[in-house]
Amino acid sequence: MWLSDQVVSHLRDVASWPDLPEGRYRVLRPIGQGGMGRVYEARDERLDRVVAIKVSNAPFAGSSLDARLEREALVSATLEHPGIVPVHDVGVLDDGRLFYVMKLVRGVTLEQHAATLTSESARLSVFERVVEPIAFAHARGIVHRDVKPSNVMVGPFGEVLVLDWGAAKRLDDPDAHSQPAAVTGETSIAPNGATTPGTRMGTPGFMAPEQAEGRVGDVSPASDVYALGALLFWLLSGDMPSAEPGAAGRAPADRLPDVPKRLRAIVARCLAERAEDRYTHAGEVAADVARYRAGDAVIACPETAWDRFGRWFVKYRTFVGLIAAYLVMRALVAWWRW
Amino acid sequence: MAIATSGRSEAARHGSRYAGARVLPFPLTRRSVIDRIRSGDAEARQLAFGTLAAGYWRPSYHYVRVRWHLPQEDAEDVVQAFFATAFEKRYVERFDPAKAKFRTFLRTCLDRFIQNDRKAERALKRGGGAAPLSLDFPGAERDLAEHLRAPAVDPDAFFREETIRGLFARTVEIMRSEFTAGGRARAFRAFERYDLAGETGASYATLAAELGLTVAQVTNDLYAARRRFREIALDQLRGLVGTDDEFRSEARDLFGFEVPD
Repeated sequence: MWLSDQVVSHLRDVASWPDLPEGRYRVLRPIGQGGMGRVYEARDERLDRVVAIKVSNAPFAGSSLDARLEREALVSATLEHPGIVPVHDVGVLDDGRLFYVMKLVRGVTLEQHAATLTSESARLSVFERVVEPIAFAHARGIVHRDVKPSNVMVGPFGEVLVLDWGAAKRLDDPDAHSQPAAVTGETSIAPNGATTPGTRMGTPGFMAPEQAEGRVGDVSPASDVYALGALLFWLLSGDMPSAEPGAAGRAPADRLPDVPKRLRAIVARCLAERAEDRYTHAGEVAADVARYRAGDAVIACPETAWDRFGRWFVKYRTFVGLIAAYLVMRALVAWWRW
Repeated sequence: MAIATSGRSEAARHGSRYAGARVLPFPLTRRSVIDRIRSGDAEARQLAFGTLAAGYWRPSYHYVRVRWHLPQEDAEDVVQAFFATAFEKRYVERFDPAKAKFRTFLRTCLDRFIQNDRKAERALKRGGGAAPLSLDFPGAERDLAEHLRAPAVDPDAFFREETIRGLFARTVEIMRSEFTAGGRARAFRAFERYDLAGETGASYATLAAELGLTVAQVTNDLYAARRRFREIALDQLRGLVGTDDEFRSEARDLFGFEVPD
């Protein structure tokens, strides 16, 4: 019997599709592939809606891949936030692989969306919406550990969603210190799906130094702050941060010459080499960015009196202009009468 | 066929909340075909070698025809002689999994065999001390027409592709027999029409209308057939590799997920 290349390729594909239980979900097509698992578009026959199903790459429970996928499902389900994809269901396939069902996100990655952002205001607006779910997670003791542009989706209505919580760490989890420092789907999975405690893994350029060095116990919300700083740097400059751990924060002023000083200071503070020199959590980043956008003082940038006057002048330039115009008019009237 | 374990124990080790999950049979570790060939039992050795030859003769024939440009008759002779000599000279027993995959080892043996044409001729004349294999060379020759249009550049990749093609073809034949004998011809027909037709764009609804079934029936039939296809393919794959590690690696490469320890 002869099988063409096309048939062989098709068979390889469909044979790896999940055998979903009880006929509730019907796989329509594969839509994504990562290190942890594959994502399929599927129909939920019971609720008559299209969903996304992420299936572990390992067929038997006991693999670290399953543990990570399970963690991702549980963390995502715990964090009910508009910026985090809601999880509908979780279970085990007949062949042993773990899966979970989530809302199907239609949209583009931040990498694609960023190309359409032409102003600083638009970039900061998107950045703030990335920071919100991370700040929400930090407030609940969860660190994402793999914030990067490809883990952010922008939906058709402009909604911003932070994905891939499989590397997340619960700060109150007694086993958290045995989890890898960071994980990225593309690079961290060993052939047998195993990871070693303290293994140095992550996404170069977005990893905080403590993650890059595999210091698992030192990973904290400030590690996500570093990644957010790298992401902000990327949004503002268009360049990926340096792959060398910690290098991105060394001279942000030189590398962002066209960015206002106070905004550069926010980036620099996020990218500080030492965690204690950064914002302690994403909420502080959000607050400082909001202050910057409102024209207020940012905590990342101590001001001189002249800085303060300049900022005040810029912030209230319309009001100052009106007062000045009024005074000029009054002066002209007084002069005319005189 | 080897198989079946309790998924419950695997899940329990994981300590997961899904520890009670049911896990269907999957081909598990069994004595490798290489071990059986190396065994002192002549019958077991012959059977194991037969498994190996059944899996590799067709890719070997295509490889000889396409990569070595041998005429049809010479290629048939070389393939027969190669497997006879491999059995007689115990080539397979020299396989070292630390150095290469079994497939690569076998292809290298075949290359060396052909390079030394005189040896091949002698082996052919001797007949290798084993009965010639009953091989469908005319069928293999018909398949070859596809390759001659665009032969792969990398010999190892070509041999690998042919091995997978042969593996899937045997899997489909086993499925055909099994489904027909088991009263599941309808499921195989759906599988044949949808997954083996080589067409794209057909919907389940179209297929359901064509076969006089409901879409749900087509969905269920395809689900069952694809799962069985994977099970048989993995079981067949076991007969073509040297070690459990190689099996896992090949299975991962083939279907994109891990198979169990």
